[in-house]
Amino acid sequence: MDREQVIKALKDSGKWGHKYSLWAVYFCTGCGIIEIPPSITSRWDAERFGIIPVASPRQANLFLITGYVSMKTLKAIIRTYEQMGEPKYTVAFGSCPINGGMYWDSYNTIKKLDKYIPIDGLIAGCMPRPEAVFIAVTHLWKMIDKGTADAYKKYKNQYKYYRRNQEMALGKLKWPPLYPIDKNE
Amino acid sequence: MNKKNLIDGLKLTFADIRVNKDEDELMKIYAKKEQVKTILRYLKDNGYDHLALVSCVDWINEGEFGLIYILTSYADNNEAYKETGDVYLKTRISRRKPETESVIENFENAEPYEREIHELFGVDFIGHPRLIPLFLDRNYEVPPFRKNFDTRKYVKDFFESIPAVSEEKT
Repeated sequence: MDREQVIKALKDSGKWGHKYSLWAVYFCTGCGIIEIPPSITSRWDAERFGIIPVASPRQANLFLITGYVSMKTLKAIIRTYEQMGEPKYTVAFGSCPINGGMYWDSYNTIKKLDKYIPIDGLIAGCMPRPEAVFIAVTHLWKMIDKGTADAYKKYKNQYKYYRRNQEMALGKLKWPPLYPIDKNE
Repeated sequence: MNKKNLIDGLKLTFADIRVNKDEDELMKIYAKKEQVKTILRYLKDNGYDHLALVSCVDWINEGEFGLIYILTSYADNNEAYKETGDVYLKTRISRRKPETESVIENFENAEPYEREIHELFGVDFIGHPRLIPLFLDRNYEVPPFRKNFDTRKYVKDFFESIPAVSEEKT
């Protein structure tokens, strides 16, 4: 850290804290999770970037969605995402959450994840290498600096539409809405 | 007991079954669906003590489902198994009325396989204690592994009808 950054960090210490302590919720979806153990262990050592996997979504603020999302997994993803504390950042990993990937005509795999939960960044590839995770993380740093990593705010503002899409896909959800839904509109 | 004895015994006990003649291939037994349970019982008594898989194939042009039971052996002294390897028992059931008897009485581990086939192909197993969904969370009009299930139409009707949450609306 050079001197310029010291001033920046002191000016906006919240952002500085968020940037270098991205704790990822250890949530395994699909085949992409096979890239995460090498990323977090000594070969690629994700802790250089401040990423450590944590067991509970309440402690985490980075959600890596690694691989295809089936209907049952979508339910779990929504619940996990809603339990995470703000600020929370979502990164879709691999081509399946982006547009379906090789499961584009599958009967039980959702195609576009950003219809159901908001996404800050997308890593393309099948599979992306661990280096791609770190490139995504450094991009996320820049976004946090500029204040553009605000998908969780979008979720709050447009919760009505997200909830509608979730119920269109999964049927009536069993848990109450996270934010109040304005019914007058 | 070797392979020849096993085949002779099978043919003697069960009237109209067919065993493939090719020596190089795996041993396949073709039988009617009513015989499946007794043949599995017979093979189990002769040392084939493990049901490895129950599988299903949709032969849509012939109007039939093919059911395949694969048997292996864990017994050390099973001479026939050393020659035959895994034994395949094949049967066909009608597609119009897809039902057959459950083989849980002979092999308990058939339960999840039969549940899966019931869910994905719509085959009813008579005598199965709980034919409830195993993997799927939704109801499909046609069971999704049947050949007449149009996946692309389903994706178009269901997934593409869900609108994207646009950026502008706040």
